[in-house]
Amino acid sequence: MRPAPVIQLQRVARDFHDGRQNRRVLFPLDLSVHRSELTIISGPSGSGKTTLLTIMALIQRPSQGRVLIGEQDVAGATEDLRATLRLRHFGFVFQNAALIPALSVAENALMAAAVQGGAVTAAARRRAQEALDTLGMADFWDINVSKLSGGQKQRVAIARALVNDPELILCDEPTSALDVESSAIVLKTLKRLSTEGRAVILVTHDPRVFPYADRLVQLVDGRIATDTGTKHTTDASADA
Amino acid sequence: MRRAAALKMLFHDRATALGSVAGVIAIVFLVGQQLAIFFGLTGFMSSIADTSGADAWVLARNTENINAAGSIPLSWRDRVAGVDGVAWVEPVVITAGQLRRRDGNTIGVQVVGCNPPRLAGGPNRFAQGSIADLLDPEAVTVDKLELPELGYPGVGDALEINGKRVRVAAVTTGLRGFGGTLLYCSIAKAREIAGSGGDRCTALLIGLSPGRDAVGMVALLRGILPRAEVFATADLSRSTKLYYLKNSGIGTSFGFTTLIAALVGLVIIALTMYTNVISKSQDYAMLRVLGARRRDVLYIVFLQSLYIAAIGILLGFLLLAGFLSGTRESALPVSLPWLVGPALAAATLLLCLLGSLLAMRRAVKIEPASAFR
Repeated sequence: MRPAPVIQLQRVARDFHDGRQNRRVLFPLDLSVHRSELTIISGPSGSGKTTLLTIMALIQRPSQGRVLIGEQDVAGATEDLRATLRLRHFGFVFQNAALIPALSVAENALMAAAVQGGAVTAAARRRAQEALDTLGMADFWDINVSKLSGGQKQRVAIARALVNDPELILCDEPTSALDVESSAIVLKTLKRLSTEGRAVILVTHDPRVFPYADRLVQLVDGRIATDTGTKHTTDASADA
Repeated sequence: MRRAAALKMLFHDRATALGSVAGVIAIVFLVGQQLAIFFGLTGFMSSIADTSGADAWVLARNTENINAAGSIPLSWRDRVAGVDGVAWVEPVVITAGQLRRRDGNTIGVQVVGCNPPRLAGGPNRFAQGSIADLLDPEAVTVDKLELPELGYPGVGDALEINGKRVRVAAVTTGLRGFGGTLLYCSIAKAREIAGSGGDRCTALLIGLSPGRDAVGMVALLRGILPRAEVFATADLSRSTKLYYLKNSGIGTSFGFTTLIAALVGLVIIALTMYTNVISKSQDYAMLRVLGARRRDVLYIVFLQSLYIAAIGILLGFLLLAGFLSGTRESALPVSLPWLVGPALAAATLLLCLLGSLLAMRRAVKIEPASAFR
C-alpha cells in the first residue's frame, strides 16, 4: 500500500517582485515527499532549488498552489502556525551547521525543543543524547561548539534536527563546507535516517551526493526537468 | 533554557555586551551623581528651616525664601504666644556678615542668632561641643565641612564678624547654608553683628502643643497677622527651594546635565544592542527556521535587555554608593533621598528597554529565509 506523503506540493509556483515587475522563479509544479525516502533536489544556481526548499519548509508562501501536510493546506497559514508546524514536523540541517557559537553541543541540540519556550522535555533530552551518541558526539555534550570541527558541527546540527522527532528533515547543502570524509559521515547518517522511516530532502548542486538518493529531482529555470520518481509509486511522472 | 541561552548569546560578544552595560552604568552613575549634588544643594538652600525644630514660621510679608527674609516686629511674638495650641514662640535673627579669618582674609557668612535659653532654630548636629555652648554671649558655631573656607579655626579661637568679636565654641556637622557659610550664635550677638535693634527679628519660630495640626495653625495665624507671611516649616523649606529653582539657573543646569547623561547612556545602549542583534542575525534566522515565532525572538532580545539593565544598574549603584561614601566628608554637597534609588533604577530600566527597541525591531524583522545561504 502506498503511504501518505509527508508533504505535498500541488501546482505550486512562486513569483518575486523586483521593484518593477513580477518575475516567476518557480513554475507550477507538483511534488510529494514520502517517508523512508531520501530525495535530492538538484540544479544549477538560480534554478529555484532554495525557493522550493523554503516553500516546503513553510518559510515562504507560494504565489499559487497548495502545500499539504496531511490533509491540511498550509500554504496560506499564518506565520505563527507555520512556525509551529516547522517545530513539530520538520528538522533542519543547514549548509554551515548554523549552530549558535555561544552555546554548548547539548544546548544547541536542545534549542530546537526550546525555541517556543517551556521546559525541555525528558523525551527531547533523551533523543538528543541518543542522536549525539549515534553520531559519535556523546563525549562532547558540554563542549562549546566553537571548539568543534566542521564535520562535528554538522553532526550536532543533525542531532538538533532529530530532537523533536520530525517526520521530515530538510537539508540545505549540508556537505558543501565539509571534507570528503566528513561529507561521507553526514550523508550516511542522512541515508540511515531515511531508511529508519523519515523523509529526507536534500538540496544540493553537488553530483557526488546523488548516489545516496532514493529519488532525484532536477530543477532547471524553475521547472522540474527530471524526476526519477518516488519508490512509493509506479508512475514517476505522477509528481512531475 | 531560553533564559540561559539568551544570557550566553549576549555575552558571547563581550565587547558589545559590556558596551551596553557601560551605557546603563553611565545612566545610573551620571544621573545619580547629578541628582545627589542637586539634592545636596537644594538641602543647603533650606537648611535653616529644615534644622529649626519649629512647626511653623512667621516672616515678613512676601517672603518666599528663608535666606532673604526682611525683619518683623518682635511684638508679634505676644500675639502669637496667646493663641491656643501654641506651645512656644521664639525669635531668630538671620543676617549676613563678613568673617575675618586669622590670616586676615574675609569671607561672606550667614549668621543665625537664636534666643536663649531655648535656642530654638539652633543647630542639631555637632562634631564638637553642643547647643548649650551658644549660651555664651560671644559663642559661634562653625561647620566641620566649612573649616577650610574659614581658615581652620579651632574651638576657643577668636574671630571677627563685621568687626564684632566672636569665639568658636562648637563645631557642627553637615549644616551648611546656601547664602554663605552658616554660623549660629545667640540672638544678641546676631543683632550686634547686624547692627539691628532689639525690637525686631527676622522670624518667629513656633512650636505647637502636641496633637495640633500645623496647617490649621498656619491658617489661624494668617488671620491674626495679616501683614505677615506664615508658613508650616515644610512649606517654607519647599518655598525656599522653589525660589532658587525659579530664580537661578540651577534647575535648568542640572536638568540639562541629567538629560545629557541619560541620552548618552541611551545612545550607547541602543547602538551596542543593535550591533549585537546584527552580529547574531544568522542565529536568529536559524531559530526562526527551527520554529521560533517573531515573539520568541523578541523575548530573547527583551531578556537580554533585562540582563543588561540588571547588571548595569547593580554596578552603577555600587559605583554611585562609592561616590556618595567618598564625598560624605567632602565639601561637595551630596544627598540622595532614599526614594531616588528605586526611581532611578526604574527609570534606567525603562531607558534600557527604550534603548533596546531598535534592536528588538531589527530582531523581529529578521526573516527565516536568510538562514539559507
